[in-house]
Amino acid sequence: MPITRVAPGVVKVVPDKMTLSQRTYLPQVIGGMLVTIRHLVKNLFNMKKLPIISYPEVKRVYSERFRGRHILTSREDGTTRCVACYMCSTACPAECITIEAGEDQRTREKFPVRYDIDLLRCVFCGYCVDACPEDAIYMTRDYEMAIDTRARAVVGLRDLVVPPNFPVEPMGWRPYYGAMDKNGTAGGTGRGQELRSAPYADDAPPNPDVYRGA
Amino acid sequence: MSTLTKYSDIPYTGPAPTNREPYVPADAEKMNARGAEIASRISGVTQETGQDLPTFVVDKERIVDVLRALKHDLKFTLPLDCFGVDYPRREQRFDIVYQLYSIENNERVRLKVRVGEGESVPSSLPVYQGLNWFEREVFDMFGVKFDGHPNLRRILTHENFQGHPLRKDYDPAQRWLLTEEGVAKIIPQIDPRFAQEEAESDFERVTLNLGPSHPATHGTLRIVVTLDGETIVGADTEIGYLHRCFEKMSETHTYQQVIPFTDRLNYCSAIINNVGYCMTVEKMLGIQSPARADYVRLILSELMRIGDHLICIGTNLVDMGALTNFWYLFQPREEMYGLIEACCGARLLPSYLRIGGLAVDVPPNFLQMTQKLVDSIPRFLDDVDKLVRTNRIFRDRVEGIGPISAEDALDFGFTGPCLRACGIPYDVRKANPYLGYETYDFDVPIADGGDTYARYLVRMEEMRQSLRIIQQAIDRGLPTGPVIVDNPYVALPPKSKVYNEMESLIYHFKLIMHGIQPPVGETYFQVEGGNGELGFYIVSDGTKNPYRVRVRPPCFAIYQAFTKMITGQTIPDAIAALGSLNIIAGELDH
Repeated sequence: MPITRVAPGVVKVVPDKMTLSQRTYLPQVIGGMLVTIRHLVKNLFNMKKLPIISYPEVKRVYSERFRGRHILTSREDGTTRCVACYMCSTACPAECITIEAGEDQRTREKFPVRYDIDLLRCVFCGYCVDACPEDAIYMTRDYEMAIDTRARAVVGLRDLVVPPNFPVEPMGWRPYYGAMDKNGTAGGTGRGQELRSAPYADDAPPNPDVYRGA
Repeated sequence: MSTLTKYSDIPYTGPAPTNREPYVPADAEKMNARGAEIASRISGVTQETGQDLPTFVVDKERIVDVLRALKHDLKFTLPLDCFGVDYPRREQRFDIVYQLYSIENNERVRLKVRVGEGESVPSSLPVYQGLNWFEREVFDMFGVKFDGHPNLRRILTHENFQGHPLRKDYDPAQRWLLTEEGVAKIIPQIDPRFAQEEAESDFERVTLNLGPSHPATHGTLRIVVTLDGETIVGADTEIGYLHRCFEKMSETHTYQQVIPFTDRLNYCSAIINNVGYCMTVEKMLGIQSPARADYVRLILSELMRIGDHLICIGTNLVDMGALTNFWYLFQPREEMYGLIEACCGARLLPSYLRIGGLAVDVPPNFLQMTQKLVDSIPRFLDDVDKLVRTNRIFRDRVEGIGPISAEDALDFGFTGPCLRACGIPYDVRKANPYLGYETYDFDVPIADGGDTYARYLVRMEEMRQSLRIIQQAIDRGLPTGPVIVDNPYVALPPKSKVYNEMESLIYHFKLIMHGIQPPVGETYFQVEGGNGELGFYIVSDGTKNPYRVRVRPPCFAIYQAFTKMITGQTIPDAIAALGSLNIIAGELDH
C-alpha cells in the first residue's frame, strides 16, 4: 500500500493503482483462494492448535482474577465471615445486594440474617470484593449461571456461603493485599490475590471442571 | 512473594480535602488570558474566568452571531458538543453549553447560554449543521426549545415519555411505556419530505424500514428509507433504542461507581472510555496517576483501539459478503480479550481502571503476553489486506460509496478515523497528548475521498500505527512503582493495611461511604476513542455524586450525517457505508 508522508507525524494512504491482473480479476481470485487454502491446510495439519474451544466439553481457562459468581467465606468455626456492615451494598453500582443484619446473642456480633445477590442485576464489576473489610466476599471462576426463572437469579446465604477452608484454587477475583508485612501475614484469611502469571501458555490444558458451587 | 506493590510505602502527607472548595484548573491563567483575547475580538460575550477552557456567557439573542464570528473569524470550525446543565435554584435555571474546537489553532472554547423555564434559544443550525442532534438531545433531556430547528422532536427517549429526564426535579423511578399510539405518532413525523416527494414523482415510492432489528445494523438502529426502485431518495434515522440514561445514572452514583457505566458506552473499546472518564476526574482532583498505571493504560488503550477497528472492518466485510475476513480479524480480537481478562478478570466490560490508577497490578507476564499479541496481529491484517484491498469486487463495491466532503465532515462534527478519511489529520493523541503519547513515534494516517474505501484504508493503517506504539512501549519496559496514587481520599488502601491498621480501615470506610469528593467546579477532558474524540464534561458540587456528567459520544455526531451520505445511493451501498462508520449503539444512545 503506497504510504506517503505529507507532514511530520501525518502519513497519507493512497489507494493502489489497479494493475491489469487485478482488473481482469481472475488472477486475484486465485491469489485470494491461495490465502484461504493456506489457512485450510495449516489448520488441517494442526488440528490441536485450532483456535476453537468445543464448549461445553472443553472450557476456557480463565485467569485467577476472573469475576464470576460470588461466594461468602466462613471462619474456622463455621460461622460466616460477613458482619453485615453494608459496605458491599453501598459500593455496588448496580444495587444488587440486599442485606439484613442480625445480632448474635452470645458473642454480641453482627451477622447477616439475609444476604441476597440478584445475579440478573449484578454487573460483575468486583466492587463488592474491593469494598469488603472482612475478607468475606470473593468471586469465583463460575460463569455458568443460566436460570429459568427470575426468582432463581436471586441467590441468598444458602447458595453463597461456603464451608471453612474452602479451596482457593478455583477462585477468581479476591481482595488484593498489596505488599505483605514483615511477618508474611496480611491479616484476613491470608488467601487473597497473589500476582501470578495468567494461564495463557499455548500448552495450558483446558480446565475441565470449573467450580460449580458448594 | 512478588515484590510488585499496589501502594507505595510512603504514607500520604498531603492535606485532607475540605469539602466545597472551588476547583482551580492548572492552566486557568493561560485560559483567562486567551479568553480575554477572544473576548476582545468578539462582541457581546462576557468572559467567565477561572475555567479550564476559555469560557464565555452569551445572551441567547446573540448566540448565533457569536457562533458565526467564532467559526469564520477565529476558525472554530469543528462543533464538538452542545448540552445542558440544570441549576433549579437559579432564576435562569438552564445552562446550554456549546463547545467548539479549532483544528488550525488547536484550541477549544466553551460558550454558555442561560435560559429560564419555558424560554427558547435560537437554533445554531445555520452556522453548524452538526449541532442538529445535539440540540434535539437538549430539547429531549431538558425541554429547552430551539427556534428555527427543522425537526425538533425527542431523540433518545420515546414519544410516550413524559417530562425531561435530566432535569434535577425529574424522578428517575418513573417508568414510561411506549404504546402503539406513540409509535403511530412517530411515523408521520419521521420525515415530512417523504409524502411531498412522492407526489412529485412519476413512479410509486416505497418506504422501507431498515432495522431496528436487522443483522446489518449492528445494534438497534432504525433507518427509514424512501426508495425509487433501488435508489434511496430520502432517508431518516431513528435512534435511542439502547438509551440507558448513562448521564442520569451517573448523577445518583459516586464517582467511582460510574466507571462500570462508562464500560458500556463504546463496548468495543471499553478501556478507552475508562481512561477518558478517570482522567477527567483526576484532572478535577489535580492528581496524576503513577507512571506504571499510565503505561498500562496506554498499552491497553491502543490494544482496544485495534480491537475496535478489527470489529468495524470485520463486520463491515461480513455485510458485504466477505465472511472469511471476519474470522481472520476476530481471532486476534479474542486473544486480546484474553489479555484484558488476565489483567482484570473480565473480557468485554473490564472496569479495570480506578480513579487515580488501576484496580490491581498487571500479571507478571503481561509484557510477554502483549509481545505475543503484537507479533501475531500483523499476520492477520496482511491476510485481510491480501484478500480485499486490491480485490476488484471489494473496490467496486466501496469506492465512492457513502462519500462526505471534508467541509461537510467538519461541519457535522466528525472526529476520528471518519474525519481522517476525508484528509484532515486531527487526532487528539497528537493535538493534546495525554498518557505520554507525545513521547512515542507514530503517524496519523489520512486518506482522500471520505468514502468507505478511504475509511477502510485509514483504519487498517491506524492499527499498524497502534502496533508501533505498543512495540515502542514494550521496548521501554514496565515502569516500576505503584499502580495507584497513594492518597487515601482517592484510592482504597491495600487490604494488608486495612486489616492491620486502624487508620487505613477508617480511610477505607470513609471512601466507600462518602466517596471521592472533588472540588466545586466543572471540567472537560478528551481522549481519542475508537471513533473519534471522546470527551467527558463533569460538574462537581463538592459532594460524592457528580452534579452532571456529560459524555461527548463521537459516533452521535457522525451518525447524523448518515442520511446525507446515502441519499442517491442504493440499499446495499447504505449497508456498506453504515458498517464503515462504526456506529456503536451503546455510545450513540448513551
